[in-house]
Order: sequence, then structure tokens, then C-alpha cells
Amino acid sequence: MDRSLGEPPPFVVVVQGPPQVGKSLLIKCLVKHYTKQNLSEVRGPITVVSGKSRRVQFLECPNDINGMIDAAKIADLALLLIDGSYGFEMDTFEFLNIMQVHGFPKVMGVLTHLDSKFKDPKKLRKTKQRLKHRFWAEIKEGAKLFYLSGLDNGKYTKREVHNLARFISVIKPVPLSWRMAHPYLLVDRFEDITPPESVRLNRKCDRKITLYGYLRGCNMKRGTKVHITGAGDFSLSGVTGLADPCPLPSAAKKRGLRDKEKLFYAPMSGLGDLLYDKDAVYININDHLVQFSKNDDNDAPEKQGKGKDVGVTLVKTLQNTRYSINEKMDQSSIDFFGRGAAAQSKDRNTGGNVISASHDDQGDENVFEQVDSVNIDNADTMDNNRHSECSSDSEGDNDDDDNQLRDRDVELREELEFCNGRLRRKAVSSNFQDDVDDEGSDKDDSDNEDSGDEEFSGGSASSYDSGEASDSDDETENTSKWKESLLARTLSRRSTSLMQLVYGQSLTKLDSVASEENDDSEASGSEEEFFVPKGQKKVQQNELPAFDDIDAEDYSKFFKSELRDWSNEDLINSIRDRFVTGNWSKAALRGQELNENGEDEEIYGDFEDLETGEIHGGQASENADGNGSTHKEDDLEVEKRRLKKLAQRARFDAQYDGSELSGDEADDDKKKSGREQSNGGGYFDKLKEEMEIRKQMNMSELNDLDEDTRVEIEGFRTGTYVRLEVHGVPFELVEHFDPCHPILVGGIGLGEENTGYMQASLKRHRWHRKVLKTKDPIIVSIGWRRFQTTPVYAIEDRNGRHRMLKYTPEHMHCFAMFWGPLAPPKSGVLAVQNLSNNQVPFRITATGWVQEFNNTARIVKKIKLTGTPCKIFKKTALIKGMFTSDLEVARFEGAAIRTVSGIRGQVKKAAKIEPGDVLKRKGENTEGIARCTFEDRILMSDIVFLRAWVNVEVPTYCNLVTTALQPRKETWQGMRTTAELRRAHNIPIPHNKDSVYKPIERKPRKFNPVEIPAKLQQLLPFKSRPKDRPKQRQPTVENRVPVIMEHNERKTHEAIRQLMLLRHEKAKKKKIKEQQKKKAYEAEKAKTEQVTKKRQREERRERYREEDKQKKRARR
Amino acid sequence: MVRENSRRLSGSRQFRQRLVLATLTSTTVTIDDIRSGDAAPGLRPHEVSLLRLLDKISDHHTIDLNETGMDLFPRALLMLAVLPALCLWLCGACRNEAEVPAGGDYRREGPRARLWGAPGDRLLPRAPHTAWPLRQSAHSDSAQRRWLRITNDTKDPSVDTFRMTTLHMLKHFGVPLEGLELKIDSRGSPPLGGGEVFLRVPIINSTLTAANWTDEGMVKRIRGVSFTTRVSPQIENRIIYAARGIFNRFIPDVHIFTDHRSGSAGGRSPGYGVSLVAETTTGCLLSVDVTVSYPSVDEMNEESEKPELMSPEDLGVQAASMLLEEVAQGGVVDSTHQGLLFILCALCPPDVSKVRVGQLTPYGIETLRNIRDFLDIKFVIKPDPNSNTVTLICVGAGVKNLARKSS
Repeated sequence: MDRSLGEPPPFVVVVQGPPQVGKSLLIKCLVKHYTKQNLSEVRGPITVVSGKSRRVQFLECPNDINGMIDAAKIADLALLLIDGSYGFEMDTFEFLNIMQVHGFPKVMGVLTHLDSKFKDPKKLRKTKQRLKHRFWAEIKEGAKLFYLSGLDNGKYTKREVHNLARFISVIKPVPLSWRMAHPYLLVDRFEDITPPESVRLNRKCDRKITLYGYLRGCNMKRGTKVHITGAGDFSLSGVTGLADPCPLPSAAKKRGLRDKEKLFYAPMSGLGDLLYDKDAVYININDHLVQFSKNDDNDAPEKQGKGKDVGVTLVKTLQNTRYSINEKMDQSSIDFFGRGAAAQSKDRNTGGNVISASHDDQGDENVFEQVDSVNIDNADTMDNNRHSECSSDSEGDNDDDDNQLRDRDVELREELEFCNGRLRRKAVSSNFQDDVDDEGSDKDDSDNEDSGDEEFSGGSASSYDSGEASDSDDETENTSKWKESLLARTLSRRSTSLMQLVYGQSLTKLDSVASEENDDSEASGSEEEFFVPKGQKKVQQNELPAFDDIDAEDYSKFFKSELRDWSNEDLINSIRDRFVTGNWSKAALRGQELNENGEDEEIYGDFEDLETGEIHGGQASENADGNGSTHKEDDLEVEKRRLKKLAQRARFDAQYDGSELSGDEADDDKKKSGREQSNGGGYFDKLKEEMEIRKQMNMSELNDLDEDTRVEIEGFRTGTYVRLEVHGVPFELVEHFDPCHPILVGGIGLGEENTGYMQASLKRHRWHRKVLKTKDPIIVSIGWRRFQTTPVYAIEDRNGRHRMLKYTPEHMHCFAMFWGPLAPPKSGVLAVQNLSNNQVPFRITATGWVQEFNNTARIVKKIKLTGTPCKIFKKTALIKGMFTSDLEVARFEGAAIRTVSGIRGQVKKAAKIEPGDVLKRKGENTEGIARCTFEDRILMSDIVFLRAWVNVEVPTYCNLVTTALQPRKETWQGMRTTAELRRAHNIPIPHNKDSVYKPIERKPRKFNPVEIPAKLQQLLPFKSRPKDRPKQRQPTVENRVPVIMEHNERKTHEAIRQLMLLRHEKAKKKKIKEQQKKKAYEAEKAKTEQVTKKRQREERRERYREEDKQKKRARR
Repeated sequence: MVRENSRRLSGSRQFRQRLVLATLTSTTVTIDDIRSGDAAPGLRPHEVSLLRLLDKISDHHTIDLNETGMDLFPRALLMLAVLPALCLWLCGACRNEAEVPAGGDYRREGPRARLWGAPGDRLLPRAPHTAWPLRQSAHSDSAQRRWLRITNDTKDPSVDTFRMTTLHMLKHFGVPLEGLELKIDSRGSPPLGGGEVFLRVPIINSTLTAANWTDEGMVKRIRGVSFTTRVSPQIENRIIYAARGIFNRFIPDVHIFTDHRSGSAGGRSPGYGVSLVAETTTGCLLSVDVTVSYPSVDEMNEESEKPELMSPEDLGVQAASMLLEEVAQGGVVDSTHQGLLFILCALCPPDVSKVRVGQLTPYGIETLRNIRDFLDIKFVIKPDPNSNTVTLICVGAGVKNLARKSS
């Protein structure tokens, strides 16, 4: 939600492009177009008034990746310069990616160098077309790509620059959530205000610097911490709102800008001889114009105020008086109040942290005053005094003259400071002498004093409370109008000091006084009784509940000392109207008085009325009495309606800001349609309206306050030109300051200054060549910061477990956890691995966003514990080598285990090994042997393993990228990756023998035959009995014993043998013959087959043809 | 390099508030000189148990304790997921609850732990549950000293006030009341306690919304709850009768409920009390409560005789008078809730909040100072002389729920 109330800060236009593409020239041309001034060189941001209500700040984006990241974080519009003759370069795409991560501002492409190479118009057109489509693919269809056709006298042609300026002027900034929630400024002026003496003594001492720039984003409070990009986090030691160096023209009706109003502001480019500071204006005079000094005055603006030598020149006088003023400021207050050290010290205290903005407006006036005389100095410092009162005049008597009010404040303040006796009284009277004419009657005066006494003599707030209670009693009893008004006045006086009572006084109380008081009480106790038991004293203290007791009981209830008797008729009447049964109109009157401060003055009549003796009070109150209730209701309604009206108007303005139509009718039509839209619009419109109403409410509330209070509670508004003072900055920042590199100062939100673990969703960029390795350092840019850290990548498993990944996945988002300064969820993350400029490939390694920060988020990786059985019982086995100690076993009791062959089991307990056990006897280590059970008996050759998950520690490493603390030319060197270190030191990649893949040798396993016990065999049916008896070793009887035949027998045997032979022979021949015959037959058959097939085909074709013909005929 | 912010405080006052603010802003806090002048220096057991609870509900705390000092490094934040609950802590009703002895029985521990981190529940608008045992002043030492006042009333608002008033305050800051729930399972009176409540707090979407809450309106009805634990239920009627006697002069719409607890639901010691709420036409709730019970065992041994308790009639009259005092003071909240109101305003997004309260209480002032110290927010304090009220305006700190996971 956009909450900015002030004047919009200048619109930042970042001009980005690869080297030598014409960035500076474009800025020069644009500046020339706006202001008619020639710029010699572009250094730092250049602010230009570009229209009646618009300012533009140009910034040239440096070519290194750090500068690009910083520039992308502040750009409202990015002009991407592209060399038309060459085409797109990686820088452009890198910059686009950076912007996409850190909130995408408006982008416009500008093609340059279109004249040099393209003689052929057709080719030129083609190139333009090609580049345009590529650009569209990257941003969106129809994204604006501007063409700068060529140079004319070393400048871009006027017409084209004019057109470009037109385009720039209509673009509105995109609201980006990160920037809306954080104050930030682009530093356009940088000063080192370290005392030169300390620099001389120690060149490397910590410096004090001031940074100037327009405040953007959201309001900035005094206590905000800031991050200076490339340098680190710092707390601000001072914030001041300065007069706008480049103000918008006054709102008078006229068409364009006058020449006088075409301002531009570029202190880093060395333009403009006038510099405004918090309390002075510096005039830069060139050397050749100054004749009276031998000393070089070049660094006058830098070493302001601390001029060492006394000259006679004007500049020297200026410097000299400036120096003396610091001294005399304090002394003047001494003179004024006529008393010494206390006042002085007070002045120092308040002067340090309270800085008035209104004072700065008088900057130039101051200078003259300083020159004039010490007297004026005195007056001036008096003024300072007044400003430095942090009291707020919240009652809104703004018609009173300011001086008087301030005087009164001073007086009250003085009373607070010197609250014992005479000193205070004197201060009061001295001030009241000035006020006599305003105060009127003496009586009034004394009354004031009395009330002052009542108020401050007690000091502590408890007495104040009782005082007020008694006051209210008084009020109810004495109803005289006159006194009432006095009471009202005293109460209103009290009002101004209520904030002081709550905040101002407690400042000292909280830190120092509390302890002192404790001491005091002890001291007083010791007078009476030397030794007092500790507890007893405590009890004494408790009887009077001391408000300042640092060990006070912690309770939120508030106890009235005594309760009043509510059956008393007076009391009942006093609150009768607070009930619905009471008088509604009177009650409404009460509400109304509360609502409007203006009217209670009328009712009770303020002191001016008293002075003249007129009393308007009664009449007014009667009036109010009459129509009180209705009036009040009306007021509420009216207020609401007014806010709504304002909101609608603002919305309307926002909608039709750019396109102002002159035609009345057209305008009216548009308005109508707009209203209809808003009426019929859905949720979004409603939301918008609510936001607008909220904004208007804020505005109306805050505008009632005076400037100092407003700044205190709201902070500096966006669009103010602020000066930040930072102490304790490393000297390198000053030494290596380069105006060409933007310095971005970003406010740190609540809780963002802490470091912790962040979880991000990260995706390797598809153009980056390598995958990223876990725990390799990368440079991450989140929010304002850039830091190097070592992420651990992980992926979320189905069951919500974050499993560590060694490398980022190829085309997916993965989960990355790293240590670093916290950034709120949803902020973009950009990772770069190497900052060097001479890398050819794409430098952005990964992009993503922060998901959450959760220190307990666990990343785990798989671990497998393996062991081998050392003893196997039936289904139980003792497993050795899995754990190292019995304690470890105890930790894993009940864990599931498995053998390689797939037998599942469970860890039971650490095994009890008796002294006489085999293992013991062998002298082996018996620690860490676990007894496990399995679902089946395992073998001694089985390997048992246990799968578990082990936490992965994310290294708490985070190193801010301090590019601003070194020469910009150098590449920042952080922690190096392991690979880089190996390369640098020539260390080979460690080689684990076990991890090497070897050819697997698998011996064929030999299995013994199944042995069925004889008993079992007997029981088996014959069918199932094993029958393959082993061969007998001895030959059978037939083989073993030779047969001797008789003669007859032998003859028949021989005859049979021969007959058989014949028969076999015949059969053989017959078989061959049959085979031949069959072969012949087969051949014959194949032949006839072929013929038949051919014939059949012919027949079929004939038939189909006939059918076809018939069909055709039939169709006809 | 990154510098963490830290605060150095001393003394035990505003202990709860300081801790909670430190946790909300993730500020490192060092507190020393805790009751250094006391016979029993250091933290009280109930404070230690608060620390223990903080440790449990938050992420990455480091707590160092020594005899009279402590360091708290709330590293990571638990933001608005826990904000309402923490605010309620502030309100004070929970001091009693925090008095859980070491190893106290946290009922439903799992879900409660989830309240804060809420990893699984991030998408569910469903409220995370929490529960803790309620024990009113379990520790004897602190109870003894409290006894002196207990004849008038207890120091912290009762559970009934908490339920009827405190929870409804959140409504004005854009917290839906749907998920908010406080169930009193059993009550416990001092000194032995034994009560138990069940609190359910929703996770807020992103932030609170700034409140413009200045119209106090007129009292339209009075409600209340009287309770008795381990004493005759007749006492309640006597209290109510007495209180009504006072209210009848002002408004007829008075209804005080009775809540008699016996057995285990009645805790471990006898006591009775009443809490009253006045509701105005604009929805403001002003509440008071009074409780009466016996002092702790140590005290009784010394005196050897049970002291006389305040009679129910007196109690009723006292409670009614206190409520009328609150009404007479004006403001949109009663004096007890001023601190919580200011803190809620300060936690809002950077919009202007405007609230009106009666006379500033010491607790309220301390709260304002604490807010200034921790959140760097100052209020513009404008007293209104006519109605004797104070209007406070502030711009919120824009505290966001950073602990929520973005999906």
C-alpha cells in the first residue's frame, strides 16, 4: 500500500548498457534537452526538473555486476541501451534478470549505433525488426524499443532525444512491495566530515560521513538503521531534512516551465557552485577567481567549518565564524540565563539529537548573520534553543504567535531541569516578563505559576496522578465558569507536557536515575539503622508501591487508593450521562467537545476573552446543548463523507493524471464512466477505496501536528531531501569513493538486522553453464544486501522431509538453506558466483525467493549403516560392525534393518556378551554388537544394513560483499570454492579407491544336491522318492562276466546278424529313394501352385473389375 | 558487518512486557540487577517458567540465566502468527498461567508447539491450538506478598476479564474473532491454584489494521461472571445481589452469570470473585474483577488461624464501585487494558491509530516507554480537559508476520 504523503521524489532513470554503447552521451543529451546545459562528464546521479510536477534523476549504471545490482534496486525506469550494429549483449540480459528478481520497474529499450553499419535501409529495417522481437520475447509483447538513428555533431539528434524525453515523462513508477516497505535513498552527494586533525593523526581512522539524497520508499525515522550497499549496516547518528536543492516550480497556472525553473542538481558531477548543508551554504569559488589566498581552497566544501588557518578573505571569514559559532552557541545560552554549566550541558544534550527542519530553510540567512556580529549570533542560538525543545505543542493553539509558545516551552523545560528551589523560579519569572502583555492579568500569571509548581514539584508521575484526581474533584464541585476555564487551561498546559512526562523525563529516569534512587533510599535507611536485613527493607518499600522501583511488581491493574461511595447522589449524577439511561444530548455534548478542540475554546472562553472581560462561554454552551446530539451525529457523518470524497478525488486524479483532456464533454463522459466502474467494481475497487480513505485519514491526523512532532512520530516523509550522518565508517569507503558507482542507502526493517537461517526456493539460471554444488560459496543479493554464503541445497520429499542434494537440479526449483542477514519472506534472491568482469558466460547463476526463516528446518541426508552377523541363532543374530558402542545401539533400538537378500528385521538391544564367549576369547571388540531379529534365518555371508537420515549442518558463514571498501577496479574476493582452491594450489581431486567402479567378477556358484533324509524318504510315496540313484561304480554282472556260446548258437547268432545287416541296408536305400521322390514332388507342387495362384489372381481381378463396373453402372 | 541490536535493562519490573517486546522485535535483551536488593534475588519461579514457555514456543532463543541477571537472544522471530497470543500474555492475565512448575504438564503439547512455527498448517486458516494449565499464584513466596492486596483484589486480570474483554479488543485491530476461543476447563484460586484453560488463537493473515477508536459511547448494558471454587454456591448470589444494588441506580440491563465449580473443576483452594463488564453503545468494553481467597500455607502457619475473608456483599459492592470508577474515567478501554491497547497500536502497519483512554495508569506509561525503547515509536498524547481523558495518536511500526512461510 502506498502511504507516501509528501511530494514525490525524483523519478530515477537508470541508463544501462554494455560499455561503449553511448550511455553517457544519452544522459548528456537528455540533460541538455531539459536544461539547455552542457555536461562535461556524467558522474553520480543528476537531478533535473522535467516538468511542472516532475523531476527526473538520471543515473548511469556502471558495468560491473555489483553496480548493476545496486542500480536495479533503485531504478524506476531502466533505459536499456543496445548496440544496434552488434545486437544484444549479455549485460542487457543480466540486468533484466536482476531487475526481475528485485522488483521489475518500467523498462524501455534504446537502440543506438544504427548509422554506422547499415547503409542498406532494408537491412536496417530487418535488424530493427529482429532485435525488437527478441526484446519483446524477453519482456512482453509490445514493449517499447526506441531507436536512436545516429549522431549529429557528436550528439543524438534533437528530435529523437525530444521524443525519448516525452516517453520518459509519461511513464509512472510501478509500486514495488519491497521498496514501499523500506526507506531508501540514492546518494547524490557524499561528504567526509571527519575532523582533519584526526585524519592527520591517523589516516586510517574511522570516518564520519554525511550522505545526501531524496528519501524514497517510505518514511524514515531517526532511529532507523541503514545498509550502505557495499559497506555494511550502520546506525544513523543524525538525520536532517534539508531544503530541496532542486525544487519543483511553484504551482502557479502556466503552460510550461520557465527557464529559471529548469533546475538541475548534480553535485557529484561538480556542477553548481552552491551547496546547501544543514546549517550553512557553501559557495565554491574557482581557483583562478580567488586572488587573496595562497592556500589551495579546493577542498573547502569538504573540510568545511574546520579551517585551520585564519585568513583575511571572505571565505576564510566565513569559515572562521562558522567555527566560532559552535563555541558561542553554548556560551550564548549562558549569557541569556545568567547561569553556568548546567544550561550549557543541557544545550549540548538536546542539540545533539534534535535537529529542526525549519531552521535549515534559513540556511543562507544564517551565513549572513554569522558574518555580522556576535549579537546576532546570540539571537540565532536562542532560536536554536527554541527549536531544540522537543516539546510538542499538541493543543493546536496555532493562531498564537509561535515565539511566545516556544518561550513558554523553554520555561517549562527549564523547570524540569532545575527542579530544586530558587533556580527554577527565576527562570519562570524571566520568561514571564516577556509574556506579560499576552498573559494579561497578574492573577492569571500567579495561577499559572501555581499550577506549574503543582505539576513539577512532585516530579514523579504518581504524584501527578493524584494531583489530577484532586483536580477532577475540584472540577465537579466548583462549577464556576471562570474557574473552569482556568482549570481547562491549566490542564491544557499540562497537555503539552504530558508527552514530556511520559517520554522526556523517563529518558534519564530509565537509565540512570532509577539506580540512583535505589541508592538514595538505601542511604537514607542507613542513617537510621546501619544493618537492615535485605528482605525487610523490601517490605518497607512495598508498602508504598514506588513507580520508579526497578524491581516493581509486574502487574497491569491499577489500584485506586480508596473507592468512593457510589450511593452518593452527587457522584451518581456526575456519571449519570455516561449511561444510556441518562441525558443523551448532554452525553453527546461531551463527545463533541472531545472531537473538536476549536469549539471548547468557545465554550469555556480562552484567556483572550477574559482579558477583555467578555464571556462568551454560556451562550456557546447553550447552543451546543440544544442541538448537541444531532450535531455530533452529523459531524461524524460529515467527517466520513469528507474523507470519502477526498479519497475518491485522489483516486480519480491518479487515474487521469497522465491524460488530461481539455474538452469538457469528453472529460465529463470519462468521469461518468469512471464512477460507474468504481461503483460496479468488485473487490479490488473496494480495496483501493479503503486504502485511499485510510490515506486521507492519516493525512488529516498528521497535518494537525506541528512539524517537529510529526517528524518524531512519523519520520521524514518521502520526497524530502535528507542528510544522513553516519559515524564509524571504515576509511576505505571514503578513500575508494567513486561517484560513478551509485551508493544506495536502504533502511532496515524490523527484525531484518538479525542474522539467521533462511530458506529459499532457488533455481539455477538456465543460461549458467554449470550446476551449483552444495556448500560452494555463492554471492547472494537479497533486499538491499549482497553477501557471500554457503547454501545447502535440498529437495522436499513426499513426506515433507528435506533431503540434501549434492548439486542443484537441472531444470527445477530446489530448496536452499543458508545463513545470512534475514530478509522477509517473498523477497527476491539473486545468486552470482563470480563478480569478475572478464567472464564470458552468463554471470547470474541462480534466482529465487525467500520462503521463510526457520532455524529449526532440518536438511537431512541418507546414511546406511552396515554390519555383518557374528553369530546366528535361529532367527536372531548378533550383528557386528554396525554400531560403535552400546549407547549407539540403544539409540537405534527398534530400527528397521534389512539384509541384502531382502530379509527384514529389527534392532533389539545391545548384545550381552558373557566373559566366556567365543568372541571374548578371540580377543575381539565386543562393544556395539546388536542383537537383531529377522523374519527368517540369515546367513553368515549376509550383509545387514540400516537406513537412516542424518542432519546436515548448514555452515553459519556469511560475508558481506564490501565492494565499496576497495578500489572499484578490483574484483572482490571472498571465500573460494573448493574447485578454485584446488586449481590454485594444484591439488588433485581426492581419489577414493572404494568409489571406483571395477568390473564385477561373479564366480558361478556351486550348490550341493538336496539331501533327503532316509527316514523322510521312507515316508514319501514312491512317486516322490528320489529315483536318480547314483551310477554304480562296478559294471553289472552281464558286463562283467564273459559269455561263451556253443557252435550252433554262434551260427544262428551270426545268421541273424547278417540278416539284420541286409535289412538295414535295404531300409537305408529305400529312405534315400523316398527322399528324392519327395523332393521332386515338392518341386512339381510348387510349380503348379504358382500357376494356380497366378490364375486365381487373374480371376479375382477380373471379378473385381466386373463388380466395379456393375457398381458404377448401378450408381448411374 | 551485521550488527545486532541489543538492549540492556535492569530490574524485574515490566518483565513480561519487556520479554514479549524483545521477542516481537527480535531484540537481544540483557537484564541485570533483578531484585538485587531483595532477600531472594533473581527471578521468581513464575518468571522462569515464562522464560521456559518462550523458549518452547519460539525458534532459536538463547537464554542465559544467572543469579540476578539474564540474557535473552531471540534470534529468529515469531511474528504475527503468535502476535495475538503474545499480546494477550502482555495483558497480564497470563502471569498466572505462566506459573507452571518445572516440567509442568503442558496439555496437548504437540499442537501448541505448532502454533508458533506452523510448518504444516501454513495454508490452513484453521486456528492452531494452544493450551496451558492455569494456576493462580502457585508459588508460595510471591503469593504471600500478594496476599496483602488480595483482600482488595488480585493483581492480574482474571480469566473472565480476559475472555470477555481482552479478546474482544483484537476485533478493533482487524483480527477476526472466529478463531479466538478461551475455554475455562477448571478454575483455580490462590494459593494452590489448579485451574486450566484452553486458548485458541488464529494466525493473522499479514498484519493488524490501524484503529481509529475514540468514541467511547454510553454504557448500555452490564454483564459479568461470578465464580466460586470450593465454597458454597450461595455466595455467588450474595455477590450479585450486592452488585445489582449499586447498578440499579444507573441502568436496568444488568446480568451477572454464576459459575460454581466444585470437585476437580474447582481447583485446589477455596475462593470466590466476580468480574464485571460494561458494554457501551460503541462496542467498548470496560471491565473490572475482584477475587477473594485465602493466603498461602506459609502465611497460615504463622498466624495459626484462618483470616477472615471479605464478605461477598462487600465484594459485590467493591466490584460495582470499581466498575463505576472505570466508567467515570472514560476512554475506550479500562485502566487494565491500556498497555495492551498501546502495544496493539504500535504493532499496526504505518498508519495513524487514534485511541482514547482515561487517566494514564503507571502501567500504561511504562508501556509507552517500553514501546519507545523497543519499537522506536512515540505517541502524541493529548489530554482532553473537558472529559478528563487522554487521546493518543501514533503511527504503527509496521510489524509483519515474518515467520509465515510463503508458498
